[in-house]
Amino acid sequence: MLTRCLGARRLRQIRRAFRHGAVTFLCLFLTVIVLRGTIGAGKFGTPQQDFDNLRHHLNSHRRVLEEQHSEKTTTTSNNYATFDISTILVDEPPSKDEITRDPKAPYTLGPRITNWDQQRKRWLQQNPNFPNFIAPNKPRVLLVTGSSPKPCENPVGDHYLLKSIKNKIDYCRLHGIEIFYNMALFDAEMAGFWAKLPLIRKLLLSHPEVEFLWWMDSDAMFTDMAFEVPWERYKDHNFVMHGWNEMVYDEKNWIGLNTGSFLLRNCQWSLDILDSWAPMGPKGKVRDEAGKLLTRELKNRPVFEADDQSAMVYLLATERDKWGDKVYLENGYYLHGYWGILVDRYEEMIENYHPGLGDHRWPLVTHFVGCKPCGKFGDYPVERCLRQMDRAYNFGDNQILQMYGFTHKSLASKRVKRVRNESSNLKMAIRNVNPVNPI
Amino acid sequence: MGQDTLSAQKRATATALPTTTALAASNARRNPPRSRQISKTFNNIKITILCGFVTILVLRGTIGVNLGSSDADAVNQNLIEETNRILAEIRSDSDPNEPDEPDIALNASSSFSLGPKIRNWDRERQQWLQNNPEYPNLVRGKPRILLLTGSPPKPCDNPIGDHYLLKSIKNKIDYCRIHGIEIVYNIAHLDKELAGYWAKLPMIRRLMLSHPEVEWIWWMDSDAFFTDMVFELPFSKYENYNLVLHGYPDLLFEQKSWIAVNTGSFLFRNCQWSLDLLDEWAPMGPKGPIREEAGRILTANLKGRPAFEADDQSALIYLLLFKKVWMEKVFLENSYYLHGYWAGLVDRYEEMAEKYHPGLGDERWPFVTHFVGCKPCGSYGDYPVERCLSSMERAFNFADNQVLKLYGFSHRGLLSPKIKRIRNETVTPLEFVDRFDIRRHHPSTTQSKS
Repeated sequence: MLTRCLGARRLRQIRRAFRHGAVTFLCLFLTVIVLRGTIGAGKFGTPQQDFDNLRHHLNSHRRVLEEQHSEKTTTTSNNYATFDISTILVDEPPSKDEITRDPKAPYTLGPRITNWDQQRKRWLQQNPNFPNFIAPNKPRVLLVTGSSPKPCENPVGDHYLLKSIKNKIDYCRLHGIEIFYNMALFDAEMAGFWAKLPLIRKLLLSHPEVEFLWWMDSDAMFTDMAFEVPWERYKDHNFVMHGWNEMVYDEKNWIGLNTGSFLLRNCQWSLDILDSWAPMGPKGKVRDEAGKLLTRELKNRPVFEADDQSAMVYLLATERDKWGDKVYLENGYYLHGYWGILVDRYEEMIENYHPGLGDHRWPLVTHFVGCKPCGKFGDYPVERCLRQMDRAYNFGDNQILQMYGFTHKSLASKRVKRVRNESSNLKMAIRNVNPVNPI
Repeated sequence: MGQDTLSAQKRATATALPTTTALAASNARRNPPRSRQISKTFNNIKITILCGFVTILVLRGTIGVNLGSSDADAVNQNLIEETNRILAEIRSDSDPNEPDEPDIALNASSSFSLGPKIRNWDRERQQWLQNNPEYPNLVRGKPRILLLTGSPPKPCDNPIGDHYLLKSIKNKIDYCRIHGIEIVYNIAHLDKELAGYWAKLPMIRRLMLSHPEVEWIWWMDSDAFFTDMVFELPFSKYENYNLVLHGYPDLLFEQKSWIAVNTGSFLFRNCQWSLDLLDEWAPMGPKGPIREEAGRILTANLKGRPAFEADDQSALIYLLLFKKVWMEKVFLENSYYLHGYWAGLVDRYEEMAEKYHPGLGDERWPFVTHFVGCKPCGSYGDYPVERCLSSMERAFNFADNQVLKLYGFSHRGLLSPKIKRIRNETVTPLEFVDRFDIRRHHPSTTQSKS
């Protein structure tokens, strides 16, 4: 039939062309496959990705089936292992009457206050029950720390946060310091490491009886329970951070100081420096641009968005005349102690020294920078970080337990053993630090 | 091959008339010589097999035999495995690096005791207080209190358990900061034999002896949350008592119920009487056959108690029932929720926020919401997980709202981790401090210094 329409020769030609086309197509197909397999083809992906997609697709179908089946049971399941927190947390959208900041206006932490010193002084006079000094040379201190209101991504993250706050509770109980554990994000624009700025400002203004606010990261632990901060040394300063003058002012090194553990006096100067510190913080374009500026200007800083520590180095280095005389960069003791150089020496310290020194011989604070136990990935191997955090925690905890006649079996062990026969002799039981109850 | 056939056909059509040759050609095509057909098919099959073989080779070379691992995935997998291994090690009780040394053996005899018997604690404590006036047991007219709470030394069976332990301690830190109470968070088992719910006994005794300046020791379970941040304990009611428990006299004396009192939140005065009671309470605790046997006795004697090993609550009830002399100094509190069973309270928080105000402490605004039976640190609770955890979240946020009020914020909803502003920022923040700071409105804090 076809031959009658087209003619035999034509038909043969068509058939031949067809066969040629088939062979060409086959060869082309093979070539594309080989090229995809070796070079990859951008958004069209590689066979590996195809395989993953296929597997995922099949799995998701299977998971949907499983979920549907188990949906009836999860709402009534008593098993904590299968629980998913997202089923109970509700991220409600902002309501209409919520007070929000005008997004077009430049960022500020709050309306500018100019007479905070006078306001506070008057308040302190009117409220003699809430003095800002609880003993001569002992100011009222509020230790502020915090973590996210959502569970950690890392399954053991919350356990280490718990041990960290217990460690801080112990130190603060011995030294008469109050604690504020923050789990709320006060300003969504200043999320991440910048979240402490609006929090600190809010706490300074709401607690005029507090003389010093001590910010401490959640990954920092007290390892010297006896050391008392030398408050008289700072009577003429308002901001105390661990750092070195040369590294900040001369070298502009981004780790010249550390904002993981610092003291800030409750005064007008502090409100001003917070206002000057904040502009690099707002999430998005501002923070990214600021990050680029900081990487350019500061020594050794890697490329990432602006962080509060680099911003402070930059602020101090560029406006030294304005702020420098009230900033004390402390390096006589470890107000912040980088864990890498301390954790392996704990046994040596126990043998050769004693608590109360606060410096390299017996550090006040061991700060696990870079470990990020709450997140999934840190800058260091997981095992080293977690094991060393256990050791630092036990090192500090031993100093508490020893007051009660116990100690950990070793720095790696959770178990405790008795080291002192219990006696009814009270004199053995008295703690030898100087606790003061501020209330 | 095909080409031969084609050329053969071309030759055929070239030499014949169009119509007939076409017909002949089509005939030829329809019935080609058998052998040619077979060889053609054979050749086709050969080509197909060859191409198929090449395709498979290429695909194998690109996707790989393992069907799924590339470099990045392998690293990820390793990391996850390592984390899981470390987790398992952290969760295990054993210490691989050290042998089990014998502890200083104090209790070699068969009878268990918390420590050497002390008989004159009241006098010794009084003497210590006189010698150390800088650590008074009364501060501004209020007795000095120490809140004791704790959790096991290992991570919880599930990560969500640790997260709620963290929220629970934050909640306690907030209440205690506002009311000037010190906290001791215990993560150590001081006595191997008294593990689990019994671990509080040696710790209470230890703290009493080490802190003579403390007047009351307040034990609180880790699954109990403060939900009234303003309410303060009415200590004037307890002047003649040494143990304050939440409980109901009829449940205790008439029904002998095992839940007549609750040892999840109670107060012990720091005195000789308390040390004696602790010594009498402890013997049912030691792990093993003693605890099992004691459990059987308790189930037999207390109403409604299921069969399980002896717990501290049942043991205390048994003690109070069968040695009535102790009841003289025990105050059974039920005018406010020193312990508030969560199930009847958590759904009413919105209603409470609307109708009442903090400071009441009772069923209108419960002082403590206690999540008995939820056991978030374990693997299984007595109630559905979702109900327990969403209720704990609600209780936590309900309390947190009272703390955040001073700062001008509130949670967006009782299940929401996010907060919203409820008060504009101002250049005179101290007027709000005067109005909203809980400490400033408490009668005891506005008194002049004692």
